[in-house]
Amino acid sequence: MANRHITIFHGPQHPGITGNMSIELDLLGETILKATTHVGYLHRGFEKLIERRTVIQAFTIVCRICVPEPDPNEVNFAMAVEELAGIEVSQRAKYIRVMMLELSRLAAQFLWMAGQSGSIGLYAVGQWAIADRDLILDLFEELTGGRVYHMYVYPGGVRRDLPEGFLGRVEKVLEHLKTRLKLYDDIFIYNASFRQRAEGVGVIDAEEAVKNGYVGQVLRACGIEADVRKDAPYLVYDELEFDIPTEQAGDVYARALVRRAEMDQSIRILEQVIEKMPEGEIMAKLPTHRKFKLPKDDTWVKVESARGEFAYYMAGDGSENIRRMQVRGPSLVHAYTLLENLLVGAELSDVALIMNSLGICPPEIER
Amino acid sequence: MKWKVDIGGTLSPIGILGAFFEKPNTIAYPAVKKETARSYRGFHTNTLDDCIGCANCQDVCMNDAIDMIKVDKEYNPKNSSQCIPRIDYGRCCWCSLCTDVCPPSSLKLEEEYLGITKYATDFLYMPKNK
Repeated sequence: MANRHITIFHGPQHPGITGNMSIELDLLGETILKATTHVGYLHRGFEKLIERRTVIQAFTIVCRICVPEPDPNEVNFAMAVEELAGIEVSQRAKYIRVMMLELSRLAAQFLWMAGQSGSIGLYAVGQWAIADRDLILDLFEELTGGRVYHMYVYPGGVRRDLPEGFLGRVEKVLEHLKTRLKLYDDIFIYNASFRQRAEGVGVIDAEEAVKNGYVGQVLRACGIEADVRKDAPYLVYDELEFDIPTEQAGDVYARALVRRAEMDQSIRILEQVIEKMPEGEIMAKLPTHRKFKLPKDDTWVKVESARGEFAYYMAGDGSENIRRMQVRGPSLVHAYTLLENLLVGAELSDVALIMNSLGICPPEIER
Repeated sequence: MKWKVDIGGTLSPIGILGAFFEKPNTIAYPAVKKETARSYRGFHTNTLDDCIGCANCQDVCMNDAIDMIKVDKEYNPKNSSQCIPRIDYGRCCWCSLCTDVCPPSSLKLEEEYLGITKYATDFLYMPKNK
């Protein structure tokens, strides 16, 4: 029977990404002729909600913008408020923030591993990765009181000091994860069934990547060494030693290798943070009743999330409320400019594989 | 897609079989319960001997989850409003800002977090006096 031209919806619930997003696919047999991204299933109006709240009230919403990795949102929000309000953060709070960011990056990479392996049917890897991620969530629970949404990085510092012996427990988890990661290499990264499915699929050209503003692993897998932690160091990243892993191929497999190498770098950073953790205050002196007043000014802050550059624009108008806040995550450009082009010519069975490798998170698009 | 011969890549996942000889990651809940961290954000508690009824918690709550209710039991003589907070767990997001801004630190979150009820009105929760 000859191949027929059909149109199907891939999503909004599917194994490719965390969150709800749909892709309309025009297919000729198994091959994709045209892909159109549809969003709108997850709109919660964060940016507008924040305009109606005071700074302290808005602080609890921002972490909900990205479920797999809420901490870059908290750090961005805190950094923007501090810059506008002129608050100086202590060195200890900065180190604790870096620890939070790196633990969260590790947790997000485990979640990616679960999704990426699940998208080609390697479910054992996914279950193991979720179990190992839980060890990091246990640490978050002990430190912040929350497993997923931490609401911990507060403008001016962090909310709680480290519990007694906490750094030792982080070290223990890292030692365990180091041994586990070797196992993940065997069962997932070097597994022929993943490697042969991922090599040569979803190839991105370096020139095009720079031109369109792709970020994170998508850019680094094309051989471009770009990372906010090195290019525009924030917190104490300039005091820590780490490398930016890159690959040349620009395909799904190259992005997987970059992510896997970044997990080692995160562990390396965390070990340095544990060693160098200074003593001191965790919170700067805050305004009375924590009523921050932001002057008539604006700022642009950015951090490197597990999926790439994550930026916030914030403007104050002299009142207690934030006049405008805009979230610019990596997903917007990856889900529209990149994904729609990348899927043309790909096989239907590769859609989830490609989507997951781009690290698309729909709540960021519909913030 | 052509399948290339990759002996190393085909044999490397065999290590997964070692998991048969390891302990499971899961726990036999409810026979075995996982200990909750001391800082966990569970139900609210309010020490009535300390609560001054200032309504700072109500003021800071972005979800309007806190109502100040006339107290009908013994309370702190310094509680000039004679009101204490009641939490609507249909609205609460457990951000714990209310405990952060509590001047006498009487409002706290405990580790207990399991609540089962048949009645929707039970979502209006009066913090335990602790």
